[in-house]
Amino acid sequence: MNQAYSISAAELAARGKDDIPPELLSSAHLIYSSPATLAFNSPGAQGFGVKRAGLAVPGSVMLLVAPACCGRNTAALGCEAALSERFFYLMQDDTDIVTGRHLSRIPEAVKQVCDSCVKRPSAVMICITCVDALLGTDMERVCRKASDYAGVPVVPCYMYALTREGRLPPMVSVRRSVYSLLQPREKVPTSMNILGFFSPLRDDSELYPMLKSAGIHTIREISRCADFAEYQAMAEANFNLVLNQEARHAAADLRKRLGIPSVELARLYRTDKIANQYRLLGQAVGAEFDDAPYREKAEQAIENFRTKHGRRTFAVGEWLNADPFELALALIGNGFSVSEIFGTVGGSNFVYVKKIAALSPDTKIYSNLSPTMMFYDGKLSACDTVIGRDAMYYHPGLPGVPWNEERQPFGYAGVTALFAALADALSGKESAR
Amino acid sequence: MKSLLKHLSPFAPDQSGAVSALFEFGGLIAICDAGGCTGNICGFDEPRWFTRRSAIFSAGLRDMDAILGRDDRLVAKLKAAMDGSGLAFSAIIGTPVPAIIATDFKALKRMAEKQTGLPSITVATTGTRHYDVGASDAWLELFKTFTTERRPVESGTVGVLGASPLDFPTLDAGNLLSAALEKEGWKTVNCYGMGAGLDAVKNASAVEKNIVVSPAGLAAAKYLKMAFGTPYEVRCPWLPKHVLAALPSLAVKKTLVIHQQFAANAVRDAILKRNENSNVTVASWFMMEPEFMREDDFRIDSEEAFIEAITNGGYDEVVCDSRLRAALPRDCSFNIIDFPHFAVSGRLLDEVK
Repeated sequence: MNQAYSISAAELAARGKDDIPPELLSSAHLIYSSPATLAFNSPGAQGFGVKRAGLAVPGSVMLLVAPACCGRNTAALGCEAALSERFFYLMQDDTDIVTGRHLSRIPEAVKQVCDSCVKRPSAVMICITCVDALLGTDMERVCRKASDYAGVPVVPCYMYALTREGRLPPMVSVRRSVYSLLQPREKVPTSMNILGFFSPLRDDSELYPMLKSAGIHTIREISRCADFAEYQAMAEANFNLVLNQEARHAAADLRKRLGIPSVELARLYRTDKIANQYRLLGQAVGAEFDDAPYREKAEQAIENFRTKHGRRTFAVGEWLNADPFELALALIGNGFSVSEIFGTVGGSNFVYVKKIAALSPDTKIYSNLSPTMMFYDGKLSACDTVIGRDAMYYHPGLPGVPWNEERQPFGYAGVTALFAALADALSGKESAR
Repeated sequence: MKSLLKHLSPFAPDQSGAVSALFEFGGLIAICDAGGCTGNICGFDEPRWFTRRSAIFSAGLRDMDAILGRDDRLVAKLKAAMDGSGLAFSAIIGTPVPAIIATDFKALKRMAEKQTGLPSITVATTGTRHYDVGASDAWLELFKTFTTERRPVESGTVGVLGASPLDFPTLDAGNLLSAALEKEGWKTVNCYGMGAGLDAVKNASAVEKNIVVSPAGLAAAKYLKMAFGTPYEVRCPWLPKHVLAALPSLAVKKTLVIHQQFAANAVRDAILKRNENSNVTVASWFMMEPEFMREDDFRIDSEEAFIEAITNGGYDEVVCDSRLRAALPRDCSFNIIDFPHFAVSGRLLDEVK
């Protein structure tokens, strides 16, 4: 093992999704840790892990109940996001782990946390980790007890990295947690919610005007809720629009508890597929969307980029706001080349691998997590432009965009913004988008 | 409530200390976790990780691995990653998960060595202790594993034990410590883990003396003395310039120094050198070796105790990581001289304002 493992799209497609080589399966090897993997190798290391996500409830605070090691990086998150005053820690020692005695301290800790806040929190999110997963702690019960004692809603957030590939991974579970405080309300037909992200969609997203043109006057996202009252008003929604499959479980819970149905869209970069989705969405909500101007703008942005910068050859990473395989397919479909993709192949995106194989059989597929990535040599790559923060790590000298901003790109506006950002990067400007 | 942090965030844990100690020695480091601990260690506690490629891995444990204790799978993955890699040894670092399921690290070491044919170091860290405990265990294991031969003492050669970015807030600490010792007349300085690599460790019995610059290095120094008769001295030959610049004012005031014990002691020694009647106390959140404590020195064991000690101590000046200010009342009358401690705040010297 002295070179990075890769497989061509053609070879991978020929093997099929049931014969993915072990080098691409994280469960089959040690997981390599490099700056390229930081965001997704750990559910809380960077970006919106469970800790920041749990604080999406306006006015809430978080009490992390765990060994000190689990809370260590929270200092950095707080520093970056001005959240430090909302994080508190109840640290477990060896005896706690053996006896479970820390559980009896949680109600008093919640009370002390609330008492120490200048403004009483709307809720206390209790974040627990692998330790309580293994101990089998009934945290729902502990939270009820703490809530009764401290007089504040207390909600568990499960940061169980051990269950990352299970039925309810941490980022799926935490989405259910943050909407769990919504209580039944009378429905308002002109109101809906967007679920999926912990930060808002880009302001220029066509979803807002298109939904308003269909008579939907109130569109709520948890990250745009100014206070707890506005958050609670999310319960009046006529339907939920799910834009990230990790929110599917939360949407199902809201349907069961509050009777709010949901519609799901995927984030795509192929404009014809975006159009299809909007047509289907229109059918679901009983409206016909005029998406032509937005589509035209997106396709014009692609054309402008191609005219000015030619048929670039891309490396596409997975630390970005896209499915790397779908984005690569979109690039190839628009006449560009993709020499390599750093991504995690699974059942949901194997369909893109097959399509890439048909159009660009030699595209190489790497796994960021493979131990062999220690030996990745960017000089052997044919790419001249990179997309994704991880891809930028592998090719530090090449122009590119991280495309992992917190404001979420979606639909045509996402496509337009991506090509504008790429154009800026190739023009030597630092991307401001 | 001692275990509750309302103002500060947790300090670097033992597993980070173990990785920091072993980072530069050319081994494969496998953290026995589900992924989160590795992200924390690399992304927050190991600043060198961002500057160079390293062989740090997560075991990627999943619930069934923990429930069934599948050590054989871990070792098989370790072997696969080691094969043909050119790495000199493997190290397996504990976290809360193996602590809970009572992983037998000695057995893991034997299994790893048998499978890979190379030395293996295991450190049974638990994630519940501070970084210095894990670093101390790792240093000790490293020297026990690789310093196996008694070699002739090389005159003018000195070893430095206990240096890491967690203890000294600069990536250049190895060079700075070495330069200070060279200035004293030492011809060759082996600053283990920050400049001096595995060959120097193998040759550690040949140094004339070891200088222990943090409590984390003390156990290894004692081992080397016991095994090879190498004497050691506890002191810290380098301090940041801006701390040294503050010494004249500190020498005439009541001062509290909070850092890792040996760096804090060095600040005190420098103050006392200017004025032997100065009133200086040393405290630390971390290991406090009794033989190097003075009467009023104390260990801080909780946020509450820290606030109590610092607000009622009557200090004029406090030398500490300025991030600790977050826990203090706004009307505190003393002045803080910022001496970053990476294990506390994740800050390096270049962040001092």
